[in-house]
Amino acid sequence: METWRLVDVEYRDDPFMNMSVEEAIPRAVGESKAPNTVRFWHNSNTIVLGCFQSAPLEVNFDACKETGTTVVRRFTGGGAVYHDAGNLNYAISLKKGHPLVQDTDLQGVFQRLSQGAVEGLRSLGVKAEFQPINDIQVEGKKVSGAAGSIRWGAVFHHGCILVASDLAILGRVLNVPQAKLADRHVASVQKRVTTVRDELGKNVTTKDVRDGIVQGIESSYNVRLEDGALTKSELSTAKELYDTKYGKSAWNLEK
Amino acid sequence: MTNVGTTLLSADYKAPGGKLLRVRLREAEGRIESAKISGDFFLIPEDSLPKLEMMLEDVPLRENELKLLVDRFFRGTGARGLGVAPDDFVKAILAAKPGESGS
Repeated sequence: METWRLVDVEYRDDPFMNMSVEEAIPRAVGESKAPNTVRFWHNSNTIVLGCFQSAPLEVNFDACKETGTTVVRRFTGGGAVYHDAGNLNYAISLKKGHPLVQDTDLQGVFQRLSQGAVEGLRSLGVKAEFQPINDIQVEGKKVSGAAGSIRWGAVFHHGCILVASDLAILGRVLNVPQAKLADRHVASVQKRVTTVRDELGKNVTTKDVRDGIVQGIESSYNVRLEDGALTKSELSTAKELYDTKYGKSAWNLEK
Repeated sequence: MTNVGTTLLSADYKAPGGKLLRVRLREAEGRIESAKISGDFFLIPEDSLPKLEMMLEDVPLRENELKLLVDRFFRGTGARGLGVAPDDFVKAILAAKPGESGS
């Protein structure tokens, strides 16, 4: 059975460093300097923009100021998401050519690498289903969104799971364009998303969901996850990315 | 700075594939001066988008020319979209044209 590295490395109050680590891992995996890796992490109140999104168009900066929400941009495409301590992030970095995602496009990556999270949520009792392009839904409501890329010699997939997030703040800090809402026949972002807590009708922690997804990944892909840490090289790359990219407003805000 | 005769144009275009293209253009005398394309789509490689924006500079804001240019961009870079097709970029840009309707 194949073993993947499991890292719970996070900088909860430093979303810029969190994002730097997020990029450092697939770079190391792609260069065979680190094994295939699953990472779990949290951010405090943060908007994470997709790499192609315009900050002024997507972000309500007044609401961010009022709620203490930070804005950071990731290196993958897709839409803006809101993170808080009730939101669990996971990331899977595989060496390019891995049999699970060999000869596939990004849609195939999302489908296959969301499966572990889907299985993990189901094991907790959530009726989760992958919904193309990049969502996990529960009876039509989004509980998780994914993004990813194929670059640096790696296949990378990451997702955020709304476990017990504050949906009221989410609805305030993001400007959701009318064109996006129109075809879903709903009036606001809050009405088309849900949380694991709301679906289960009981208190559930991000740790519970993290543990479920660990099992979901192991059973879905027939792998064993082994606790590990970042290498010195990965930490060094992350620090460099922090200084040159994710710690800079030029990257985060000026598109 | 906006030059005399320059018009700022914009459109939000929802692609049939499900993702949103948001186009902001500076146009003068029927030609694109500069273009900014943003949205929640996927495009690999990610760093190809600025190249498309550069290629759009000084191109007539007309369907045939835009189709040829977008086609040349995708063939030349090998870029692949998800949630957006090459033709959606053309439609999104044209939707910004006065008299055209974006979605």
